[in-house]
Amino acid sequence: MVIGLGCDAVDTFISANAIIVTTTSGGEFRTKSRRILEGPVNMDIVARLSRLSHQVVRDDLNSEQVRAALTRIASSPPLYNRWLIVVMIGLACAALSRLFGGDWVVFGITWLSAGVAAFVRQELVRRHVHTLLMVSTTAFVAGLLASSAVWLQLSSQPEIALAASVLLLVPGVPLINMVLDFANKYTVVGLARGVTSALVALSIAVGLLIAMTIAGVEQL
Amino acid sequence: MMFAPLLEILEDAFWSGLTALGFALAFNVPRRALLACALVGAIGHAARTLLMAASTGIVLATLIGSVIISLLGRALGRFHHVPPPVITVAALIPMVPGTFAYRTMLGAVQLVSAPPELRAPLLDATLINGLTTILVTLALAFGSVVATLLPRARRS
Repeated sequence: MVIGLGCDAVDTFISANAIIVTTTSGGEFRTKSRRILEGPVNMDIVARLSRLSHQVVRDDLNSEQVRAALTRIASSPPLYNRWLIVVMIGLACAALSRLFGGDWVVFGITWLSAGVAAFVRQELVRRHVHTLLMVSTTAFVAGLLASSAVWLQLSSQPEIALAASVLLLVPGVPLINMVLDFANKYTVVGLARGVTSALVALSIAVGLLIAMTIAGVEQL
Repeated sequence: MMFAPLLEILEDAFWSGLTALGFALAFNVPRRALLACALVGAIGHAARTLLMAASTGIVLATLIGSVIISLLGRALGRFHHVPPPVITVAALIPMVPGTFAYRTMLGAVQLVSAPPELRAPLLDATLINGLTTILVTLALAFGSVVATLLPRARRS
């Protein structure tokens, strides 16, 4: 993309929370460093950036046009309604409870508690609560709701509802990216992702453990 | 005789497809690629379940499942004009060892206060959960990039 805009070479330095890019053009250097903002996975942006990078080469866009396109991409609103996501994330965790061999009661309870958890997460993220505290709190809420299956003795396998309703919090994408970073010799970035993922998993466990203690569930 | 297992595999595919679809929405996947996420996720997970039913270990089965996701993601990505990860990342989610990951942490926390006679079985379970998390994640990640190692066909 940068070469397409007329630079001779580009070097990037990527760390876990900042990125430094140096472009070279006719013996002149230009370097910028920028923070990496934490945010949710956004595949729409990935798809549109990929398309833009092809357009730069194919349609010979100038830097003004690229800047305008980038601003447009950065300011695009999410594609899906937040309530749709709440319902569908709940359903996704409920579907996983079926894969774990849960019955229909477990399915219903998991749908409800994971859905509420997805809503709680949205609210906490909007209020900029620290990630790990957000994860623990959400796992606690999900665990407490899911353990209603234990109190009400609705199902013979209430522990599946507990196990499945916190799965929305699992850092699946950072875990996969960690391995890819290691494979591509971005070892330090990979380590950072791995440590963060481990802390998130620990936070899930802590929230769940508190809920389990209150609900009197011994084992998962 | 083949009927019951076939039905089970289709059920497995349905639920894992639904999981992939739910996470695809949360990942803001463009509408045109949503069904591809569900389809690829369903096929990948069902393939893993089938292999595990044929007594393949979870690590090898995950590797093969994610290779399938990687290849299908590349083909469908080209078809829908999106980079393959837009499809494959959501499709991989049903295979992420999520319960293993936090059960490892839960085990670590519980080990500290466990009575001595319960320590050995808990340690055993926690060790297996931890190793499963690590190895399945490795298999998932390496499998998911196999398609990018293949020679590139003509770019659109």
